[in-house]
Amino acid sequence: MTRLFRAFGTPLSALILLFSGIWIFGLIAAPQLIMIEQSLWRMERPTGAAEISVQIDGLYNQLDVLALDRATVEAETDAAKRAADLAAIDAKEAGLKVDIAALEETESTPVKVYTLANFGQMGTAHLAIFAKTIAASLAVSAIALVVCYPIAYAVAKLETPRTASVIMLGLVIPYAINELLRIFAWQMILNQNGPVNLLLGLFGFDPVPFLESGTGVFVAMVYAYILFMVFPLYNVLETLDSNQVEAARDLGASTWNIHRRVVIPHARPGIAVGCIMTFMLSAGSYAVPYIMTRGTASPWFTQLIYNRFFEATNWNVGAAYALSLLVVCTLFIFGMMRILKVNLKDIAK
Amino acid sequence: MGGAGAKHHPAPPHNTNQGMDPEMTGQTTGKAIEFDRASVRFGQFQAVQPTDLRIEPGEFFSILGPSGCGKTTLLRLLSGFLDPTEGDVRIGGASMVGIDPSVRPTALIFQNLALFPLMPIWENVAFGLEMRGWSRAKRRDRAYELLAMVALSDHAEKLPAQLSGGQKQRVAIARALAVEPSVLLLDEPLSALDLKLRQHMRAELKQIQARTGITFVYITHDQGEALTMSDRVAVMNRGRIMQIGSPDEIYDRPDNAFVATFVGETNALDGKVASCADGMALVETPLGGFRAANPKGLRAGTEAILFLRPEKLRLLAAGETEDNQIAARVVRRDMEGAWSTLVVETGGRELKLHLPHDGRETLASGEVALGFKAAEAVILPKGEMSDD
Repeated sequence: MTRLFRAFGTPLSALILLFSGIWIFGLIAAPQLIMIEQSLWRMERPTGAAEISVQIDGLYNQLDVLALDRATVEAETDAAKRAADLAAIDAKEAGLKVDIAALEETESTPVKVYTLANFGQMGTAHLAIFAKTIAASLAVSAIALVVCYPIAYAVAKLETPRTASVIMLGLVIPYAINELLRIFAWQMILNQNGPVNLLLGLFGFDPVPFLESGTGVFVAMVYAYILFMVFPLYNVLETLDSNQVEAARDLGASTWNIHRRVVIPHARPGIAVGCIMTFMLSAGSYAVPYIMTRGTASPWFTQLIYNRFFEATNWNVGAAYALSLLVVCTLFIFGMMRILKVNLKDIAK
Repeated sequence: MGGAGAKHHPAPPHNTNQGMDPEMTGQTTGKAIEFDRASVRFGQFQAVQPTDLRIEPGEFFSILGPSGCGKTTLLRLLSGFLDPTEGDVRIGGASMVGIDPSVRPTALIFQNLALFPLMPIWENVAFGLEMRGWSRAKRRDRAYELLAMVALSDHAEKLPAQLSGGQKQRVAIARALAVEPSVLLLDEPLSALDLKLRQHMRAELKQIQARTGITFVYITHDQGEALTMSDRVAVMNRGRIMQIGSPDEIYDRPDNAFVATFVGETNALDGKVASCADGMALVETPLGGFRAANPKGLRAGTEAILFLRPEKLRLLAAGETEDNQIAARVVRRDMEGAWSTLVVETGGRELKLHLPHDGRETLASGEVALGFKAAEAVILPKGEMSDD
């Protein structure tokens, strides 16, 4: 802290601290805390609602009795007495109605109750979707890794800098297009009567229901998140000293052994970052499964969360769902770090 | 000395089934290397001109040249990371063209050593054995043996980053020796070390070479390394071998202007041959006529350059005469430790001479008389000179 002030002077240091504070609180702490808080309560009928309901019934009975009384009074011949009795009944009625209104208000106003019940709301069907989403996201990460590793290695180590930059540019350009447009494009490509099925038809295959079977989600996701795997891998592979690859080869290593013993160990932080990013993006993706399946295949967990929030309008259960996903994603991060023996410092690099 | 390394070999030479024999004994014999009109071209760039070269089994052979001269390319032809555009490269009589580096009987020590940073030292050393399918216990034992040989047993479980420069150097050597190569290729492996360590490692390398009988091909731009360690040296420039010879030959009898200027320090004077006889010549230079050796038999009237080593140029005492004499004025004296370099000026040119550190070098000042023996200067045809 003293060093900071010495290096930047008081006004600039104060500004840096302020912005850091805003960053930490506003972007890291606050959203999580709000989501956690939201997931921990729900609105419930107040305690003693049943007794109140009995009370209200009693009061309504009294109203009915008063209505009978009124009929009796209206048969009264003495005008003065009739007027006086009616006024008394009116007053009683009004009093009862006020009481009923008050009681009904209490009965129908829910109270905020802190509970873990929101987390227990997930039925087996939703739990299955949750598990499927996690498994599918793992699969997307694995596919992206398998697809990207050779690309990243080729770009980083085999190609001339010029070819490498052309390939990288080719990878980046599609990302200049809006994500939704890209997904819609894939939807059209993989459609029942899209170009892929047209091509398959030429070879005598029946149309494949890519979208309806959920395959389309995979394809579009690998496509949509491939860069998040390529770049971390590329960055880390670029720092690999080519002499090490040559040294391994010179000492008799096969291509497979060079990768197993030298390249992949070096690439561990990049693999971790790439897998974490692809996994998080896949597990948290809403647009891709929504557009690619159009409801024809079973939903992604994010779609369930969306439904809790905006269709069932139960934000608390929605928050609990979202939090469950967050916890699993966080566990995945630590799991990857453990498996690949990297720490946060390696990843931050 | 040439080719004598193998004689130090304690065990009778035997044919190791290179690299694949699990009963490797630590004893290998060097193999001969032959370049047969080998050349390398990268697009339009001729990295190595067609080269013929034979390196004897068990020889310590250095390839010396400025950066970009093609010496590393030559090394890559041997290690197998490159095949010649034309011609052939043979090791132990067998053509190496198209043979993968992983199966060649060579081991390479990289300039930056290229140790595997994530493996402990012993695994680095055992890497080649691991790739040859040795069991973990066996290769571990062998790695420890090799590490003991380079006095690093205590560091076997450390990571490369925990070792000093000299220690890493020795790990790289042990790692290369582990696969029992017939030819060890060294790509300026000492350039990252400081002077003292470098001198120490020179002796160590020479000793290992003598003990193992492996053919060493040593690439360097440092003439000190080439001259002290090698049986023979090839001086390269622009993809061409300019001269091959023992360190003494290279230094004392340079074949051309490039070798004369690249190896060691020299004074060069442009001139024209005035007359020649019996391997000697009289050359007219801007500083006057000098008599010098004429190994190339240059004829009278040809343009030539006279080369004179600074240690051959002497201060003459009053009244003393010499084959060639120059009057000059002392500009400055650079103390080099064991000797001093005296920079003198004559006829608008600077000449250098080395004076032994015997107390008298400090007396030289003002106008001095210099002289040198005719046999100790040499005239060579005009040609490219090193600007080092």
